[in-house]
Amino acid sequence: MAENAVPRETVLALRDAIARLERDRPSGSCLATTRTEGEKAGFSASGLSPTAHEETLPLGVPALDHAMSGGLPLKGLSEIRVAETRDAGAATGFTLGLAALCQARRKARGELGPILWISETMAEKEAGEPYGVGLSLLGIDLRAALFSRPRNLQQALWIAEAALGFSVFSAVILEIRGNPARLGLQESRRLQLRSMGSGVPIFLLRQAGEEEASSAHLRLLVRPAPASLFMLPDGTMLSTGIGHPAFHVIAEKTRAFSPVDAYLEWSSHARRFYPLDPVAVSLPAHAADPVAVLPASVGRPGGAPALGRVMAFKRAS
Amino acid sequence: MRIVALDSLAERLRLKRGQGVAEARAMHPRLDVLPADPAADQSFLSGLADWCDRYTPLVAYAGADGLALDITGCTKLHGGEKALLDDVLSRLFQLGVEARGAIAASPGLSWALARFSGNDVIEAGEEAVALGPLPVTALRLPQALTDTLIRLGLTQVGDLMEAPRAALARRFGPLVFLRLDQALGHDDEPLSPRRPVAELSVERRLISPVSGEDDILGLALQLADGLKGRLEERGEGGRQFELLLFRVDGKVFRLLAGTSSPLRDPKRIAALYRERLAAVHDDLDAGYGFEILRLCVLKAEPISSVQDDFSGRPDQSRALADFTDRVVARFGDEVLSVAVLAASHIPERAASLRPARDAASPAAKGLQAEEWPVVPVRPLRLLTHPERVEVPVADVPDGAPERFFWRRTAYRVARAEGPERIAAEWWIDGEDAPTRDYFRIEDETGRRFWMFRNGLFQRERMHPDWFMHGIFA
Repeated sequence: MAENAVPRETVLALRDAIARLERDRPSGSCLATTRTEGEKAGFSASGLSPTAHEETLPLGVPALDHAMSGGLPLKGLSEIRVAETRDAGAATGFTLGLAALCQARRKARGELGPILWISETMAEKEAGEPYGVGLSLLGIDLRAALFSRPRNLQQALWIAEAALGFSVFSAVILEIRGNPARLGLQESRRLQLRSMGSGVPIFLLRQAGEEEASSAHLRLLVRPAPASLFMLPDGTMLSTGIGHPAFHVIAEKTRAFSPVDAYLEWSSHARRFYPLDPVAVSLPAHAADPVAVLPASVGRPGGAPALGRVMAFKRAS
Repeated sequence: MRIVALDSLAERLRLKRGQGVAEARAMHPRLDVLPADPAADQSFLSGLADWCDRYTPLVAYAGADGLALDITGCTKLHGGEKALLDDVLSRLFQLGVEARGAIAASPGLSWALARFSGNDVIEAGEEAVALGPLPVTALRLPQALTDTLIRLGLTQVGDLMEAPRAALARRFGPLVFLRLDQALGHDDEPLSPRRPVAELSVERRLISPVSGEDDILGLALQLADGLKGRLEERGEGGRQFELLLFRVDGKVFRLLAGTSSPLRDPKRIAALYRERLAAVHDDLDAGYGFEILRLCVLKAEPISSVQDDFSGRPDQSRALADFTDRVVARFGDEVLSVAVLAASHIPERAASLRPARDAASPAAKGLQAEEWPVVPVRPLRLLTHPERVEVPVADVPDGAPERFFWRRTAYRVARAEGPERIAAEWWIDGEDAPTRDYFRIEDETGRRFWMFRNGLFQRERMHPDWFMHGIFA
């Protein structure tokens, strides 16, 4: 007497549902991380001096933390850029992950720790408005999140500067598009100094922008990365479904080291980043251009290219 | 073309309102005729009404050519009724306005006196004596009714007062005696002021006018200091303030400033106005300076007095409210918002951005994230309007696309999750609104998108369109 055969889709769907319930599990292709006690609040640095805790926020991704000499700087301007507008989702997710870490750190101290997200009109029109439901699913506390939609860059800069004067904010995100002349070296220096003074980190999220000399201590290029598969409790991988948000982060400008790149994923349940093993991220077989098995070169093969864009070629003769 | 208004010179030439312009020109060839512009008259009158705010907060329009001021309780500040009236008239004369005025116990009587009598201040009890000799036109009756009364020989108000009421009321309707009673003060006639009366207001009259921004701010701080005590007595704080600046030449500027939480700290009120002044900098023409400054509280709410604790840390929510107020005062309400969730399955209705200033009020709070029904996945950013996507190949009836074109770029789908079927809210969108099948899609480089098929294949739409709606991290 054979039992009724359960359709394969149903089984997969059920597995999928179970996997979602266990969101706090990192996906199967995560690398080992350093485990410390303060991990929930975003701490995972073991060998750092207590003062370093005040100034940096370890992400829990050894390669990146090492490159950033201990972790994300908690004072000052950090730039996060994406090369193309369509990658804005990845950059937004990564930046909000950082902001959520900063918020969690403040919450652990019993503060409200609001986040301010300023997005310039064009940036918002191109990439979409912040969506409350998605943000809260990512791990942002909506009660402590303010969104600002200034009419132009000048207003955006004013609001960012004003916000940096209030140390209640746990992070300020300033989203701009391209490389506007209005936000030059001088303006970024002002933001940098303000942020150093108040201890509120500011993330400059640059959509579709080029590398540009600025006062930021840190510049990260974010690229989208295929999400890894869900790992089932028994250790096998789920063949369908898209896992936690994954990012390919390239540290273009850091204080200490030469460029480094890392794959990481954000777990919204644990509210932390996990390093991802790019080799283990399995891609569908028919993908025409799969991610390289070895980490991609850091965006500047053969030395750093000249800054700016080519307006005209030199005369040949 | 007919004459609608005359100046005193033309009145002396015995021209009349309603007379044809051609006829008047024939009588007096050198007549100066200007086309009437009721809109400009109205805006001039409203400018004058603003100016009159200096005497009393209760200023109402009285017809198209007059203003009624309720000066109850205000006369002492100006040295008595007579002095107040003289002050109004002489100042208006200096502004180049020929005005007539009268003070009486009822609006109807002062209307009549200002237009038809030389008396200006009528004490209580003398109404009947003052009103009696005036023509019936002074009763604000419709033109036809007035004409009838005059034809019947009832030319003066006094004639009406002596006539038997019942018979006249039967013939002319109740309006005649209503107006009469109102003028005599037997019947109540409320004025409807142009603007809501401020809950509290403090003003400063200056002997020499100020024009500098810093001077205005300094005075605003002093005014706010004056408000503080009275707000404390009431246990309230202001949610909406208005700073009135009376310019020497009669123009009045009103600067509104709202706050996100009840406020009575003078320094913070002044800081609010620092931003407001910076924002309206170009529109605020100080001219020869401002002679009166007044700070009003338009809206007040109870405030629970808080004592600073000993930790020395500034209060978090207060600092946040301070930031909100500064930004909103400078750039307006829509610049700063909070995300509010609502109970709806339609993605664009489920969350919205609302002005941050109202966020504190419980009605605007909406759902909390915890109360939100369990949702599988939602994007981080939602496109304001879903964008059309070209999908050449998709599994039918309800499969995911394999390739698509969005913003003139081709994408190949690597993985897809879905469909998540969201039915339309027929009670809002109507019965034939299409069902949406949402797919979470990852392309080959790892970009994750949220797309939907608008309508069920062949059941609701023959060839449903695809739309891009959001972007995932």
